Amino acid sequence: MRSSVSYILSSSTSEPNMSHPDYEQYSHDHAALLVLIRHIGSQLKPKTFVKFYDRISKLTSVRITDSTGNVRTILVRYVKEHPVENNDWGDFQTHRRLLGLISLGKYDSQQELNEICRVHESLKVKYTSTLFDSRCILFGPTKEGGSSSDTSTSSPNSDSSGSPAEQTIEKFTTPSNFKTRGLFYDEAAPCSDLETQIVEFINSLFWVLESKRLERSREKLERVSLLLAPFEKKDFVGLDMESRNNKKKCTGRMTKHLGDLCLQAGLLAESLTYYGNAADTLKTVNDWLWLGAAYEGLCAASALVLYPEMQRSVPLQRNASLQEGSSPKKTVVVSSIDVGARKASIPNTLAPEDISKRYREAIIHYSKYQNAGIVETEASFKAARIAVEQNHSLQAASFLQNVVYINLTLSEQEKIQRFETLAELYTQIGFTRKAAFCQRLAATRYVSPQNPAPNWNRCYNLMLQSLPGHRLSLDPAEMREVEQGWPVLQIQLLQELVVAAKRMGHSALATRHMTFLLQTMWSHLTPTEQKELCIQLQALSSQCEGSPVPLVLDNGIVIPPANLTNIPLCHSYVLRNLQPHLQPRKIQAVKQDTGPFLFTPIHFGSLDRRSTGSQSKMGFLWVENEPCEVTLKLSNPLPFELKVSDMRLLTSGVVFESLPETVVLSPSGSPPSVITLHGTPRESEGQLQLQGYSTHTLGVKSNCRLRHMAGFPPHYEVEIVPSLPLLDVKTSLPQSSTFSSFHDYENVVTSASVSLHHGESAECTVTITNIGHVDVEMLEITMQTVLEPGLQEQMFTWSKENLLSQLPLKPGCAASLTLYLYAAGSFLVPGGTANEFSSGVFSSSISGPGSLPSRLNSPSSSFHRNVNSSFRSSNSGHSSMSATLQLPQLPINQQAAAVVEGQLQIRYSGGPGLQAAYCRCCSVFLTMETVPSLHVTNWDVLPAETNTQFYLVLDVANLTSQEMELQYTPSKTMLIEGHESCRVPVPVKRCPLSKLDTGENLASGDLDRICSEHIANLVDLRWHLLGTDTRGKASLKGITLTNDMLDEVRMSPLLWEVVINEDAVRPQEEVTCEAGDCLELKILVTNSLDKVLNHLSLSVQFYQDYENGTVNYRMETRLATTGTTKKIMEELEPQGRAQHECNVIFFTPGQYKIDIQCSSPDNATTVPCLPSNGHVWRFTPPVNVLVN
Amino acid sequence: MAVCVAIIGKDNSPKYFCCLNPDEELGFQYKVLSSLDVVEEKLNTTNKGTNDLRELYLGMLYSLETHKIYGYVTNTKIKFIIVVDSTNMALRDNEIRSMFRKLHSEYADIVCNPFYIPGDAICSKSFDVNVKNIMTGTV
Repeated sequence: MRSSVSYILSSSTSEPNMSHPDYEQYSHDHAALLVLIRHIGSQLKPKTFVKFYDRISKLTSVRITDSTGNVRTILVRYVKEHPVENNDWGDFQTHRRLLGLISLGKYDSQQELNEICRVHESLKVKYTSTLFDSRCILFGPTKEGGSSSDTSTSSPNSDSSGSPAEQTIEKFTTPSNFKTRGLFYDEAAPCSDLETQIVEFINSLFWVLESKRLERSREKLERVSLLLAPFEKKDFVGLDMESRNNKKKCTGRMTKHLGDLCLQAGLLAESLTYYGNAADTLKTVNDWLWLGAAYEGLCAASALVLYPEMQRSVPLQRNASLQEGSSPKKTVVVSSIDVGARKASIPNTLAPEDISKRYREAIIHYSKYQNAGIVETEASFKAARIAVEQNHSLQAASFLQNVVYINLTLSEQEKIQRFETLAELYTQIGFTRKAAFCQRLAATRYVSPQNPAPNWNRCYNLMLQSLPGHRLSLDPAEMREVEQGWPVLQIQLLQELVVAAKRMGHSALATRHMTFLLQTMWSHLTPTEQKELCIQLQALSSQCEGSPVPLVLDNGIVIPPANLTNIPLCHSYVLRNLQPHLQPRKIQAVKQDTGPFLFTPIHFGSLDRRSTGSQSKMGFLWVENEPCEVTLKLSNPLPFELKVSDMRLLTSGVVFESLPETVVLSPSGSPPSVITLHGTPRESEGQLQLQGYSTHTLGVKSNCRLRHMAGFPPHYEVEIVPSLPLLDVKTSLPQSSTFSSFHDYENVVTSASVSLHHGESAECTVTITNIGHVDVEMLEITMQTVLEPGLQEQMFTWSKENLLSQLPLKPGCAASLTLYLYAAGSFLVPGGTANEFSSGVFSSSISGPGSLPSRLNSPSSSFHRNVNSSFRSSNSGHSSMSATLQLPQLPINQQAAAVVEGQLQIRYSGGPGLQAAYCRCCSVFLTMETVPSLHVTNWDVLPAETNTQFYLVLDVANLTSQEMELQYTPSKTMLIEGHESCRVPVPVKRCPLSKLDTGENLASGDLDRICSEHIANLVDLRWHLLGTDTRGKASLKGITLTNDMLDEVRMSPLLWEVVINEDAVRPQEEVTCEAGDCLELKILVTNSLDKVLNHLSLSVQFYQDYENGTVNYRMETRLATTGTTKKIMEELEPQGRAQHECNVIFFTPGQYKIDIQCSSPDNATTVPCLPSNGHVWRFTPPVNVLVN
Repeated sequence: MAVCVAIIGKDNSPKYFCCLNPDEELGFQYKVLSSLDVVEEKLNTTNKGTNDLRELYLGMLYSLETHKIYGYVTNTKIKFIIVVDSTNMALRDNEIRSMFRKLHSEYADIVCNPFYIPGDAICSKSFDVNVKNIMTGTV
């Protein structure tokens, strides 16, 4: 745009040129009357001045009716400063002339008033060449009571009789040489007529201007003197002014001048005509400078016609929160019809597109003169503003671009202003990057070495403003979302920002920006830069520690906190469940509905239930007042050791107390370190959100939130349950050496082990101590083994009541529980059956010690006996004479040391946790090694001497290596050598019928079971190992009985009563008689069943037992009987009695026996407890008769 | 002969930057960044009216005392910027156009590379060499 003939036409002289550019100008200002508002005197507060300035400056346009009756709109422009030099350009462009002066001052005394008047007068003198009129607004002292009594003396030049401050001025008078109209006001009063006064003042200015205009317009154009721009004066010295060229110049310049005046006087149409004429004239004489001015006037007037509402924008408080996205562009689109209509109303108006064109030309013409640099600059700005109004951003940009090339000797301050104005206009057209660039340039100018007064504060603020243009946001979180922009330049700018903040003396800001730089630009920095910046940050933070709080600047800008999440870098964040025995559990286990499918390898995509659950919700619980853990994996990206101190957990929700942790991370390259952070929830019931962690490293405190970090959910959530008691469990037994593979052994807190012989019992004292802070109010103990429940109950017993009576358990108190252990084992050889001992040999072997009468020798039972196939029976003959039996080795091996494992589970709760239905579980692992003690390898049942008893004959094998004392009845004991066995008879009461007669439908199995239990309950085998002094009990539980045995075990349903010679026969008693004596035998049978017995046959048989296995039934020669020995009883009623009598005479002496039996035929009975087939009951033992 | 070439992604962040004199890189970065304003403005104004194929070549974005900046925008809003020396009068519009076209085809080649993730910064040696050749006009 700049003319290539730049500087050709202008001589580089030291001519006074306009050295104070006014970047704020609009083209509309060409039409405005320039009024200076000055603050004079030291009394007036700046705030008051600004208040009044703002009030006055609202009067930008005044409508005045001229002498012809037309209404003119007069524009006014107020300034606070006006260099006198600019007045010199007043001939060139009249709007540069200062026409009015308003000074504001305050006084307290006459002296001060005089001083104010003097200053005002001197100001008048300063601008005397252009000034039309002036006003002095005077604020008097605050009114005091009684001051109105003073005599009134009106100020000499003031006819402001209606002044509200009339009373105030009474005291003071302006000096006589004060020739200005003074406006007296009270500072605090509303000053309602101020506007009227100002309008009146503008009126006076207008009339003076109007008169001047008229005066000028009446001058003959041929006669006018040459108007000159300040630097031109020398050029025309000695030139022939009468030449045709110069004449034309004079005329053209004057025409242009008239245009200026008309414009100011509100005559737009006239001014347009004048400008048009002037341009035509000046073009012919190549008066470029003035031609440019004429064009500019033309543009200004046209712009005034087309865009009357183009206004100076109200300065907006810019702050960081102002989003860049809000378009700065004006959306006002002037409709072409509107423009056309306006244009039509006033002829000669330029078309909108012509305005830019003409302005361009004007600027090119100006650029030909070096001394017109400021005019050119200002014209560029004005043109740019029109382009902005027209929404022609590119045009505006080209005008603004031009500004930069204009070579001006400016003060640093003015250069900065130029950049700031450029930045503002670039922002308006949406060129944010360019604006940011200019702002940054302005910022650097503030602190450039050429600047005599560096201002780091302003520099910093401008840098801050240029951040949005560089696509930088002060919030690191936003930066993560919109990653765009130029990292290289962003890093550069941020580094400059850090320096500016540091030089400004605000080290907290410097630290903050450096943190921000490291956080947001980390990935764009080279490792070397990273390291250097970290070291810088460390140096900065040593002056002021960085903390994660927003910083508020003096101008209200908030700098959000920046947190270092890259130093150190977090790889994982894992919440830890509590130790199994500390985990709270629901007291009532929720029934888990897993649906009909237990497992499916098919994932149903969106239907997958696993994905619907929030990832961040933890599946476990934490307990109030108990430490919890989070494991972090951190790595250090820096090549030096990094100390991270005060690491804590960041939480929300439930009150949480986090314990600080300090770690030193080894330099980069080493594997990530695992750090565990601890904390304690301090509030019951609720969700605890874990947001992240806080660190303190490189002197900066950071709150690293997971939601700002990549690869993590926004937060983790875990439920907190109310506090629960905590128990410590100890046992009196030694700990076991191994743990088994119990599926939930994780609960185990301690273990106990014991080794017991079968039948031995032991006690284990479990001490439960409350080491928590909550009372234990609920305690449940269960035993878990793989054993069947019955056996388990037998082996492990404890007193629940005793334990519950010790509740509640206060903190620090202990309760004890005695666990009774019993090594239950099968004492019966597995696979062993009820073996009937072989008759003859056996009876002889036991006849010695026990002198047992063997029913097996009874003749009628012989056909019942099975021939035993067991080896025991077959070889019994060889061992018959020995008291011990050599036991086979096989059963011992099978029974060798079994191990029973169990868990004593303790579920406990108390306090608030109990109310919330939570409890804890811990368990004691018990190992019980059971060693076999004795075995019953064989058993049989023999009738006893009395009717109510029978003998249980047992082969007892001692499986231990020690000598065993076996007590098998309360009074009888037997010693058994290690690994040997012996046979013992145990007298047992027969099973009463009442036990059997329990129900109608007793199966034979039930009968067997009842009898077996009967035996097991009554037989009390106590063993005592002499070597280790251990005692135990053996149980015959599970003993099996054959049918024959059952008969013996069971009480007979018939009660016998045998009377010989009027004497009742007692068991084990012998009846003695002489040969030839007649014995009267009387038998009474009573049915003790509830049922009727039918067809019973009672028989009496005599025999001789040689006690060597031979029984002689042939008694015909030895005795004779009278009466029948057999009797059939058709029916025996319940409780009914039957009687039979007979006599016997023994012929020869000897031992005789009488076998009395009662038999029932097949299917003759309906008694369920009896076998349905035929049965025989005997009177046992047989009656012994000794005949002498 | 161009002094600087830049490729800018559709989010206006640089994807590739190359200038003949590495010392001046920061200055060129600023220049190219500022030119984006003009590019955006041009795109805004031209795209409004017509949906037709717009010319990819934007012409000169703006000129500085020392350099001239030219722009070219692909249909996917990838911007190519070429900075040439103002004193270099030999370069005419047509040469600039052809430079852009070559640059575009080079870029297309890079995008065709299955190992290149669109949107990432370009760091390819062969691309570097090719661009340098385009800049110096040896192609």
